[in-house]
This record gives sequence, structure tokens and C-alpha cells, in this order.
Amino acid sequence: MPTVTVDGKAVEVPEGTFVLEAARKAGIHIPTLCHHEALEPWGGCRLCVVDVTKEGWDGWCKLVVACLFPVEDGLIVHTATERIIETRTVVLDLLLARCPDTPLIRKLAREHGIRKTTFEVNPEPTDCILCGLCTRVCDHIGVSAISAANRGVGREIAPPFMEDGPPDCTGCLSCAEICPTDHIKYRASMQSRTIWGKTFDMVRCPTCGRAHITKEQAAFEARRGKVPESYFEYCDACKRKKTAQTIDGLSRTG
Amino acid sequence: MDRIFLVTTETCIACGKCELACAFAHGSQTRPSKSRINIFRRGPEQGTPVVCLQCHEAACEAACPTRALVRNEETGAIDMVRERCIQCRLCVAACPFGNMLWDERWHCVQKCDLCGGEPRCVPFCPTDSLQYVPADRVTPPRGAVPEDSMKTGEGT
Repeated sequence: MPTVTVDGKAVEVPEGTFVLEAARKAGIHIPTLCHHEALEPWGGCRLCVVDVTKEGWDGWCKLVVACLFPVEDGLIVHTATERIIETRTVVLDLLLARCPDTPLIRKLAREHGIRKTTFEVNPEPTDCILCGLCTRVCDHIGVSAISAANRGVGREIAPPFMEDGPPDCTGCLSCAEICPTDHIKYRASMQSRTIWGKTFDMVRCPTCGRAHITKEQAAFEARRGKVPESYFEYCDACKRKKTAQTIDGLSRTG
Repeated sequence: MDRIFLVTTETCIACGKCELACAFAHGSQTRPSKSRINIFRRGPEQGTPVVCLQCHEAACEAACPTRALVRNEETGAIDMVRERCIQCRLCVAACPFGNMLWDERWHCVQKCDLCGGEPRCVPFCPTDSLQYVPADRVTPPRGAVPEDSMKTGEGT
């Protein structure tokens, strides 16, 4: 197993691990915005930049993103040198210009000593930092209802053709739950669910009437799990009650 | 896995101490509604405790798209790896017994993890309805359990 040194701490990690994971194993914090344990690393936010070097490189350092750089034996990682801090500060400065009112970005920027962006503030402030977590989680589940549209400054996360109500969306709300800045808004109640401008027909529990899952989600999961759609008929609370009744029945007959 | 969580419904007196202990142990204050073990009361001092069965071939584990639910070989429980959970709630829909609980307050799934090998509900049970015992000391129930008694097919 390769041994890497992160800020002076030697840590042994399996082959194929990325530097970010090795650093976390060594107990060293590297800030990230687009990283999630469940998803493939993406390298979108550039906040996890670190310097890597090796014995015999004559002090030459390479600036890489920790989440995408695989470890090698003898790698030396610096996570908090002046150059790194400066790079991270510029990234956060730019993010703060884009999202001046987003609590998470303001907090991170403040931690790096920025109270006000040095760039021109976005005339149309947004909470979306384009970290791509929502589109990646949607792809990961296998739905791919939303994606990034356009390039450069016009880039945004949107349903196909920017039209409300993406046809593939199953209303699972994973994109909204994973969004680090709560940019994706939804409305969920005991009766209905609305996200991306699409209001979903719900499966209603026959016993208590609670709408617990969308019809699209039930259909998608039934296909994926090779079970009938009626598998998702009852809500979790009623399933639990039924379990209790089943156990009662068993203990009486047994 | 050498110990199993044994529930004896016949001796449960529905006192609710397990619910309180569970809710307290998992940091959600002593609100029984936030407990991962629930007693269904079917009469005075008669109850059926329902808790995650840690199924052998678990539906929640199979449904999870991110492998956030993994078997802990030491305790035998299916543990939730919070860092990998994407809150899609598929496990909640997939569990045929309704034992995956969605916490609306913290927006995460709660499930029994046997408290990492020391279930906090067990010492509080006054009638020993809940026990965490070596697996070889458990005798199977008298009479065969009907094969389709826990059937999870059409709408159950």
C-alpha cells in the first residue's frame, strides 16, 4: 500500500485512493463544495486544491485538485501553504461575487478572510454554485432528468429545453436534498409534491390516505427492483402496523 | 455475527421504556415518536415491539443506490453510512416491514443499528422482552412458522 505524507503526517492508504481521502484519513481538513462520498469525484469547485511534490523534485510543486489526484507512494502533500490559501481565496472570492447572499459561501469566504468580494457583484444573485451535485445524483440514481445547460457565464442547471416539468423526473427530491446551498426549491406535503415546476400524482396509502411516494417513483422503482407497483402501496407507518399485526398473529398461532 | 436481538412479544407489557431509551440514546430527546423501536399497543399492558429485523437479504440494502446501507459483520446490524446517504428515501419505500424511518426534522433516515453492539433499549426492558443474546442460545419457536406468514408480495 502506498504511503503518502499529508502536512507532515504519514498515512498508508490503498492503491487508487485519492489525495482528499488520504488527507481525511490523516485527520486533515480540506474544504470542498462539490464532493460527496456517494458520488464519483468531479473536481468542479476547485476548492480542494493542494500542492503535491515528491522526494527528488527539487522542491518543485504541482497544484492539483485533491479529490481527483490518485495517491502514489512517497507523495508529499501540502494543504495549507501560502500558494494554496491564495488560490482557494480567489476561488471563494469569485464564488462570493456570483452568490453574494448565500450563507454557505459567505461563511466559507469569511473563514478565508473575505468579507466583501473584490470582483464585481453578480447583478442577478443566485444560490446555485454549479457544483453539479444535483445532476450527478440524478444520473447516479439512473433518472437523468436535469442537466447543466449552456456554457460560460450563462451556464445553469435546468430541465431539458429549460421547460418546467422535466418528463423523466420521478420527484424523489434527491437533488434538492443534496444541494449544499438549498437552491433547488420544492414543496412537499402529506398530499402532493412539486419540484422543477412539476406537480406529481401521488400514491396514497389505502389505510391512512397519506401520500408517501410519487406514482413515477413507484413505477421507476418497481421496474428497477423487479417488483409489482403495488409493493409501494402502503406508507411506512402502516407497513409497520401490519408487521405488528403479523407478529401478533404468528405468536398466537405458534 | 454471534449475537441476535431477540424480541418476545408475549411478555411485553407496553411500558414504553425501550422507546424512551432509544429516543434518548440517539439524541432526539426523549420523544417516543422519534424512537427506532415502537410498541403497538393491543390492549392494557399488552404490546408488540416492532424494530428493524436486520434481514438476511435486506430490501433496503438492495434498494440503496449508493451502498449507504452496509452489514456490520461485528454486530450483525445493517448500518447506515451517513456520508454516503443521498436522502432518496428508496429504502423507506423498499422496506416491507416499515422499519426504515424518515426523520422530517433532520431530513435523514433513521434505522436501528443495535447501538453499535450494545442496544440501549435492552437494559431498560423490565420483563426481558428485549434481549441481545448469543445466537446459539436461542431456541426456535415451537411449531413451524407458516411459510407465507411474512410474505411481502402483492401490497403488503
